[in-house]
Amino acid sequence: MDGKDDRKKITGKILPWILPLVLIVLWFFVSRTELIPGYLLPDPIEIVETASVYIFAEPGSSPYAGRFINDAAVSMLRVSIGFLIATLLGLPLGILSGRVAEVNSFFNTFINGLRAIPGITWLPLAMVWFGIGVRTTVFLVAMAAFFPIYLNAAAGARQINPLLLRAGAMMGVGRVRGSYAVLLPGAMPHIMTGLRLGLGISWAYLVLGELTGVPDGLGAVIMDARMIGQIDMIIVGMILIAIVGKLSDTLLITLLRISFKSARRMT
Amino acid sequence: MTALQERTELYQRQASPVPALEATDVTMRFKVNGVLKTVLDRISFATFRNEFTCIVGQSGCGKTTLLNILAGFLPPSEGKVTVMGKAICRPGPDRCVVFQEDTLFPWLTVRENIAFGLKGKERGSTDHLKEEVNRFLDLVGLTDYQNYLPREISSGMKQRVELARVLILRPHIILMDEPFASLDYRTRREMQNLLVSLWQELPQTILFVTHDVDEAIVLGDKIEIMDINPGRVHEELHIPLERPRHINQSGFSSYRDKLHRFLCD
Repeated sequence: MDGKDDRKKITGKILPWILPLVLIVLWFFVSRTELIPGYLLPDPIEIVETASVYIFAEPGSSPYAGRFINDAAVSMLRVSIGFLIATLLGLPLGILSGRVAEVNSFFNTFINGLRAIPGITWLPLAMVWFGIGVRTTVFLVAMAAFFPIYLNAAAGARQINPLLLRAGAMMGVGRVRGSYAVLLPGAMPHIMTGLRLGLGISWAYLVLGELTGVPDGLGAVIMDARMIGQIDMIIVGMILIAIVGKLSDTLLITLLRISFKSARRMT
Repeated sequence: MTALQERTELYQRQASPVPALEATDVTMRFKVNGVLKTVLDRISFATFRNEFTCIVGQSGCGKTTLLNILAGFLPPSEGKVTVMGKAICRPGPDRCVVFQEDTLFPWLTVRENIAFGLKGKERGSTDHLKEEVNRFLDLVGLTDYQNYLPREISSGMKQRVELARVLILRPHIILMDEPFASLDYRTRREMQNLLVSLWQELPQTILFVTHDVDEAIVLGDKIEIMDINPGRVHEELHIPLERPRHINQSGFSSYRDKLHRFLCD
């Protein structure tokens, strides 16, 4: 029994790394044999070198040297502000429209219509409205993150077991306490899904916003590197966004678990 | 006159002669496929303070609908429900419900579930709250399980938690909707005994809905027998048997026969 469990544990630890490893080996293979030329896909070692310069080198020693901390920080700030706006609007509105039919029918058509517009088409308008820079990026992030947060909060509030609401009512729970002590925890698994999806898409729209010519940020670095044809830097930027995005997701889950019993115990 | 009839009489003559709960001509009609159907037809009965009343009827006679009306979840089409003389219009902690299904909050532990209602009701000291919760955990025998989540305990234990979280609020009346129906035979018997001993320890008005004739006789001071189609109170039967009761007790089978006769007619 124990042996079987142990084996399962080990398999579980190894399994997620197999595919990335195979791909890296494959990458080495195609670039060392020059099946794919270096100006399309640089050698992995070169990527590591570029990354270490970008992250650790003394700023000013080369175009991208040592800029990572600053870029990551401003990008994270933009994502945070946009995501926060989306959450502050999307959560209460979503929960309300999940519980109150009138609110739902008031917003639903409008929001679903709005949702059908591809996020990228907001870019020209946003640039006219907010100019090039931080505000456009924040607007795009908030816009994109709003929909998954709103829709999942609404779904969570709608599907909550009506007997739990009844149980709350018969124990004398009023509107206010009912909202945060029954409704919110009851909808928590859905809310969490919405927030995670929203945060994920925030990073996508961050890059879109930063492609428009802001001087700093992880997206700006990628666009900048494209202009001067530094493929290795583009790939480094992509990998770092993946890592920072994953870390921010973990951070979000951790924060929710610390703050809410329901997030800790139901997901 | 038996001891129990005496006691019932006594309740009725007590300082407050007002029934703990009274239903007067409660009628409920639903539209089913466009046809108006009378589900409950002029239900009238009263239950007095600290009385244990059972409502027995076949499935589909409207027992659950009646209970929902008494709890305030549904407004009746006609008629009136009063609790301690006051008409009710919405659910409230004076009429607590123990549901058939699992309605514990899955994100709260056993202890937190039991404390939930009291937390909202009392602004008093946390020490007092703690003591009360400890007491009720002990009463339902779940002290060792207080930090478990509902999904980690058995359905019998869940029903104990449901019971405790309602008893702790000391409502005017506890409404129970076939709470033990989904339990196995032995657990059901255990829960019935527990319920009766709790009721004897903490005097409490209970209205218990069931389709199980034996259960009704084991538990009730009196039984309201319901007809089906439309649901109406057919007869009120007093059960003056000694407690604790058992199905092999003398006199038990005569009540059972009587009830079966009513329900099969």
